[in-house]
Amino acid sequence: MTSMCIYYYFGLLLFIAGAITPLVFPQKTKRFAYIFPTTGACAFAVFGMYLLFDHPLDISAASITPFLEFVFRGDAISGFFILLISILTFSVSIYSMGYTKDMVNKGVMSVLFNIFILSMYAVILSGNVITFLISWETMSVVSYFLVTFDRKEESASAGLLYAIMTHAGTAFIIAAFLLLYKYTGHMDFAGIKEAAKDIPAGIKTIIFAFAVIGFGTKAGIIPLHTWLPQAHPAAPSNISSLMSGVMIKTGIYGILRTVVDMLGVGPEWWGIAIILIGAVSSVLGILYALTENDMKRLLAYSSVENIGIILLGIGASMVLASSGLHTLSAIAMTAGLYHTLNHTLFKGLLFLGAGSVVHATHTKNMEEMGGLIKLMPYTAFFFLIGSVSICALPLFNGFVSEWLTFQALLFDFKSASAVAKLIAPLSGAALAFTGAMAVACFVKVFGISFLGMPRSEHARGAEVASPSMIAGMGFLSLLCLLTGIFPGHTIKFFSSSVFSLTGADFSSSGTGILSIREISSGISPLSLFIVMISLFIAAVFLVRIFGGKKKITYGNSWDCGIPSLTSRMQYTATAFTNPIRVTFKKIYLSKRHTKASYALKPYFAKAIEYRDDITPFFERYIYQPVTDFIHSLAGKVKHLQSGDLHLYLGYILATLILLLIFWS
Amino acid sequence: MEKSFDLSLVNDFISIGILLTAIALNTLERLESCVKAYTYNSWLLSLLILVPAVTTGNPHLYVAASLTLATKGIMIPLFLRKIVSQQKMVHQVQPYIGNLLSLTLSGVLITIVYASLSKGISVTGFSNHALKVSIAVILIGLLIMITRRKAITMVVGLLFMENGLFLTGFSLTSGMPVIIELGILFDVLMCVIILGVFIVQIRHKFYSVDLDASTTIHDQLTTLKG
Repeated sequence: MTSMCIYYYFGLLLFIAGAITPLVFPQKTKRFAYIFPTTGACAFAVFGMYLLFDHPLDISAASITPFLEFVFRGDAISGFFILLISILTFSVSIYSMGYTKDMVNKGVMSVLFNIFILSMYAVILSGNVITFLISWETMSVVSYFLVTFDRKEESASAGLLYAIMTHAGTAFIIAAFLLLYKYTGHMDFAGIKEAAKDIPAGIKTIIFAFAVIGFGTKAGIIPLHTWLPQAHPAAPSNISSLMSGVMIKTGIYGILRTVVDMLGVGPEWWGIAIILIGAVSSVLGILYALTENDMKRLLAYSSVENIGIILLGIGASMVLASSGLHTLSAIAMTAGLYHTLNHTLFKGLLFLGAGSVVHATHTKNMEEMGGLIKLMPYTAFFFLIGSVSICALPLFNGFVSEWLTFQALLFDFKSASAVAKLIAPLSGAALAFTGAMAVACFVKVFGISFLGMPRSEHARGAEVASPSMIAGMGFLSLLCLLTGIFPGHTIKFFSSSVFSLTGADFSSSGTGILSIREISSGISPLSLFIVMISLFIAAVFLVRIFGGKKKITYGNSWDCGIPSLTSRMQYTATAFTNPIRVTFKKIYLSKRHTKASYALKPYFAKAIEYRDDITPFFERYIYQPVTDFIHSLAGKVKHLQSGDLHLYLGYILATLILLLIFWS
Repeated sequence: MEKSFDLSLVNDFISIGILLTAIALNTLERLESCVKAYTYNSWLLSLLILVPAVTTGNPHLYVAASLTLATKGIMIPLFLRKIVSQQKMVHQVQPYIGNLLSLTLSGVLITIVYASLSKGISVTGFSNHALKVSIAVILIGLLIMITRRKAITMVVGLLFMENGLFLTGFSLTSGMPVIIELGILFDVLMCVIILGVFIVQIRHKFYSVDLDASTTIHDQLTTLKG
């Protein structure tokens, strides 16, 4: 117990206060109770940074019975994730003050919000299996209640799907932990780590597979991703931001903790498997995202894509580690963790932005938005920053982490096996494809929702978001920029986590320059930033000096001779993605319907109806058969449950008689 | 030695009497008779406790016997009779299965009990047969609950089961502490009162105490969900 624990207990106290006080506050001031989680997040951020400076810390341990013992312990790996949660909680709490203004059940929201965040902290800080599982389940249950918070029909079904998926995942996690316990004799994470090298190789592989399936369900890897596009849109936006920004990262944390930290360096195909999962998730995730017209569903699919990119980095790191290339492995792990941080920042930001838009327009359908940049300028600006970051354009953070991931995949050719040499560059190609599609996707989101003319009454009535919402988004935007132009500093922050995961250091030199000595390549977003700014200023000056004064004339846009421009003449979201739908119709399995009615054939059409339904492959061909099978099985069992009291008593009698006969 | 042999014989007779009242329940047509069978059953039960009470002079057993008589032998039957007389409908049992089949099933049950308990268990109580009889009474009570339609016959079946359980406890431990017996008796009394209230309420709600009518509650719930 050191003095740093004060921050931990202080934060804990603030979150508990944040959970309880809104219940007794008067209705009007309830939303200001989010000041508690805001300060609590600051306290935990300090605590997380302390852990990041490589000070492992036993926080508290309480033994209930010999088997049930609560142990909380922090090290560099958990410090990194604590910091992530704290940053996003800080912004989301500020944002929630404005966002929850018109919400019903504010008190309940606040209780669940605080418990949800505390349970995520508890998952990260758990020091043994029991504590971990209890925190994990608390997190799942509380987030279930948050997903179904608005009590609508579709939220209920989304919540049900989420609950089923997360519990199936937890079953695998429990199995993995029980196997670890059986072969090491420890419930304690530190003890398991020490004894893990004695586990037989076959068992290790089973544990690896179970951990990837179990934690992958939470992280949202394909094909276990189906709950994400359902649950994220159903939850209130501040919660979707937290769920997508940090909750799915607990899945990444779980994979890192069990596979990389506890099991240690494994055979090469483990890393290759992770790379393949990452590549498939990122490509399919972004392709499905492209076709979505629901803003939050689109962002949810994009989360699947980004989890894929994170796994590409982690997988590359595992491949390199099993070839004994520890320094390169550290660089790849840095790429994975950097993208984890970045995704927290920009996806949290984008969900908050989407929340403001949905809050203002009361619709999630982008076909009903448009022209919001004039009505909500700040939201549009910050949403643009988020979009640019997620598209990995220079100056913002996505660029750095995707560049690092590319490097990590490309220098996998140094690894020992031929398979890795083949797979890694191909995955690099997949990542390049993903990047291109991501740009298309976010051009669509931003262009259709914010530019042009309002497409519906909803969009016309939009109002500026409240100051606290803008502040919450602004903070994240600032961090997106800072982590984008100071990559060296950012990497130093979590180099201790990378060291404790891979046993090597990635030392990069310079303040604004990120260079990899091993392959002598580097980037410098800061100098790029300075060059761009100075070029811009120079351009402005040159235009001023040589261009002279120009007269600006205002006129109407050309409207093809039709009396007035209407919003129906605009590009729609569906039309925008149509080329991509056509190109990849083998993946989408799309069915197109065109129906036209003519006033005079063939040139004067009265109405043309165009529909393009994509087939959700995994839902239709994997989940649907399984669900049908369970339903038919349940239908057969249902006859036992007839509702007839006498029959139920008959079951008891039959059981008693059987017991009497077979007793002795 | 002589005396204990006598005691065992007397208690065997009483046990058989308890079993007979349970078997008789299978053929009784009127609700009043069912209540009467229960009354006799309870009196015999109390007598069964009284016999060892007299021979051993244990005051606990006196208390247990008199309490059994007061609650199960007098108060509950009176209450049941009142409920039966309040019912304005046919006072017939209306079983699902015929009397003959019911009797045959009871016989099968008793056979199974005697066959399966013939070895392996040594009873420290006062009668060789008490344990087997008690299990048989429990099973017959359950059979009555399954095969009878009216709520009041279900209650009678439940009370027979309870008597059987009481007898099981008594035959295995030769008398539980008074405080436990007191608690059990009080529970049974409360249970019967609550069930009586329920029966009256069911009749008000569904115009029938036929439990077939109440299965629709379940169906309605499922249709609501679906």
